[in-house]
Amino acid sequence: MMNKKTWFAVGMSTMLFGSVLAGCGGEEKTAKNENKGETKEEQVEVTLAGWGGNPMEQKLLKQTLDEFEKKYPNIKVKHEVISDQYMDVIKTRLIGGEGPDVFYLDAFEAPAMIETGVLEPLDDYVTDDFDIDDFEKPLLDAFKGPDGKIYGFPKDYSTLALFYNKKMFAEAGLDVPKTWDELREAAKTLTKGTEVYGFGVAPELARLYYIAESKGGKVVTDNKASFADPKVVEALQPIVDMRLKDKSAAQPSEVGAGWGGEMFGQQKAAMVIEGNWAIPFLQETFPNTEFGTAEVPTIDGKKGTMAYTVAYVMNKDSQKKEAAWKLISFLTGKEGMKIWTSKGFALPTRKSVASELGYDKDELRAALVAGAPYATVWQNGTNLPIIMNNFNNQFVSAFLGEQPLDEALKKAQDIANKEIEAK
Amino acid sequence: MFSRKRWKEAGTAYTLLSPTLFVLLLFVIGPILFAIYLSFHKVQLLGTASFQFVGFDNFTRILDDTRAKIALWNTVKYVVIVVPTQTMLALVLAATLNAGLKGEKFFRIVYFLPTLTSSAVLTLIFMWMYNQNGLVNHVLEFLGLPTYNWLGDPSVALNAIMIMNIWSTAPFFMVIYLAALQDIPDSLYEAAELDGANAWHKFWYVTVPYLKPVTSFVVIMGLIGTFQLFDQSYIFSGGSGGPNNATLTVVLLIYQYAFKSLGTMGYAAALAFALAIVILLATWLQRKFSKEESLY
Repeated sequence: MMNKKTWFAVGMSTMLFGSVLAGCGGEEKTAKNENKGETKEEQVEVTLAGWGGNPMEQKLLKQTLDEFEKKYPNIKVKHEVISDQYMDVIKTRLIGGEGPDVFYLDAFEAPAMIETGVLEPLDDYVTDDFDIDDFEKPLLDAFKGPDGKIYGFPKDYSTLALFYNKKMFAEAGLDVPKTWDELREAAKTLTKGTEVYGFGVAPELARLYYIAESKGGKVVTDNKASFADPKVVEALQPIVDMRLKDKSAAQPSEVGAGWGGEMFGQQKAAMVIEGNWAIPFLQETFPNTEFGTAEVPTIDGKKGTMAYTVAYVMNKDSQKKEAAWKLISFLTGKEGMKIWTSKGFALPTRKSVASELGYDKDELRAALVAGAPYATVWQNGTNLPIIMNNFNNQFVSAFLGEQPLDEALKKAQDIANKEIEAK
Repeated sequence: MFSRKRWKEAGTAYTLLSPTLFVLLLFVIGPILFAIYLSFHKVQLLGTASFQFVGFDNFTRILDDTRAKIALWNTVKYVVIVVPTQTMLALVLAATLNAGLKGEKFFRIVYFLPTLTSSAVLTLIFMWMYNQNGLVNHVLEFLGLPTYNWLGDPSVALNAIMIMNIWSTAPFFMVIYLAALQDIPDSLYEAAELDGANAWHKFWYVTVPYLKPVTSFVVIMGLIGTFQLFDQSYIFSGGSGGPNNATLTVVLLIYQYAFKSLGTMGYAAALAFALAIVILLATWLQRKFSKEESLY
């Protein structure tokens, strides 16, 4: 009796799986066929997926999309906002064959996504009108595959700059630090016990990458972690010393803030290194905190900062590639980008738009724009997510003084490389 | 061996069962079998889906994975502390509620409230209270006790989750105990009283033994629940299991391998399978110790 039941169960589930798999296969085929038979006059709906922004950003995007629909009346854009766990949702939808036609992709995630082959190479769509040379080159290169093809066009970017509290600086009679040594001295003066810290640190690789490489060491070598290099340790040691020896630095969670911008806004840090996103946040949430921005202090006389960029990419399985390209080319074209970046929530990746909008002369944004030419783009191969995860985990413990930095980084590097090898 | 009549009967039975069977196969048995299948393969789902048979590679990889060991250690630590504490707390709460005090119903509601809140919301509220300048630290300071960096300090982060979880799940088991307590015949207590038993004796020699099957149930459910700790540590650490892997649990690690990194779905399935075996073992051990033959 038992046997019969078991066999029945096995048979039934095989059948079910068979039908499920068959269902998926069929859909893919029709998708490919329909793609060719698209005519221009037909009404098409393109789905665009991205994460949400603040209300002003949402409004700007809406405005840009309205302009697009006015220009191409036969294309309707269905905008979907994925508010949390963006990459998880996108990956799952792509696997299920329900991916959006056009979506945001962070440069950091780009190499791994390009490798899987789910993105459409865009070179064949590009016309002379689109003016590809207008993009800031490092930002565009972030979306080039190993085959040299372009898989996405950057929609905007931000670099990091030093945010300083004007009032605290005036009270202490300090000048804005130009070098990292000056910053360290200033942080000591500005610290008031555990009430106000001179410098708010985000102990993450994404924020420390350029510092880690400032003494000639490399964080990633041949797609593997190499940040236990003594040169990297030497470069990062001052940050740890600032917290443990000088007691002049802290991470946001130590003062009950969620991130650096909040810590700075609550006046619990006199200086933080943040990006463009912090400007509207501070102006809206903490209008009483008077702040200024400056370029990130130099290390050994060399300038450095990070650049974070996001692109519009196209789903390879999209059934409406022509319309999808029109959308991408409008959004990253001069016209669309100008509307999108007009309020300064994001910085334009096109040189022509940047000079037209004049952000290089903006009081708060000039320091961010100035960083673009020497910034390190936050991206390095397909294994950076693993490397970052392990770095962050161990660096925090060194930052909190649980173990020496060199030991922590050695441990993190070993674990990361083990994980990469097992992949 | 089977007569025609029996075949027919079986046929009718299966027809009637088919809706349930269908749901069960599709959503329970099917996925389990598929997970086992996945655990023996190197799986790449994104792009061109590929399944490459790798035998026991995924399982041997667990032995070499430092993070898996940390996750298992954290989870075990969590289980060993949380399960006994919440079981005892639940029993004590239930006993006080059953003692026939005034306002019993009111307290019953108050005690049960934490369980009604969704664990995600609860975690967010607790994170706010655990804040460096938050409620918990203020109270500790007021009482002259040391304060902690609950969220950022690796050595206390897991404890913070333990406290929260004990607080929120103990009441659920309390209700189960309460139902069982009301089942204990008064005659037993009367007999004990005649024998000269005081309140403590009655609790220890009548109530506790009588509740043994329920305790067994509560412990097993607790074991399963705590081994599957995920949402609290996920929200606490923003999905990273930090600070310094202190809140990394097995299920969180499975999630990271399945959805965060590409191409490790097979390894995640192997980890899930290993966790199932660990839970099975723990439950089996528990049953061995309590020698309980009740049904569930």
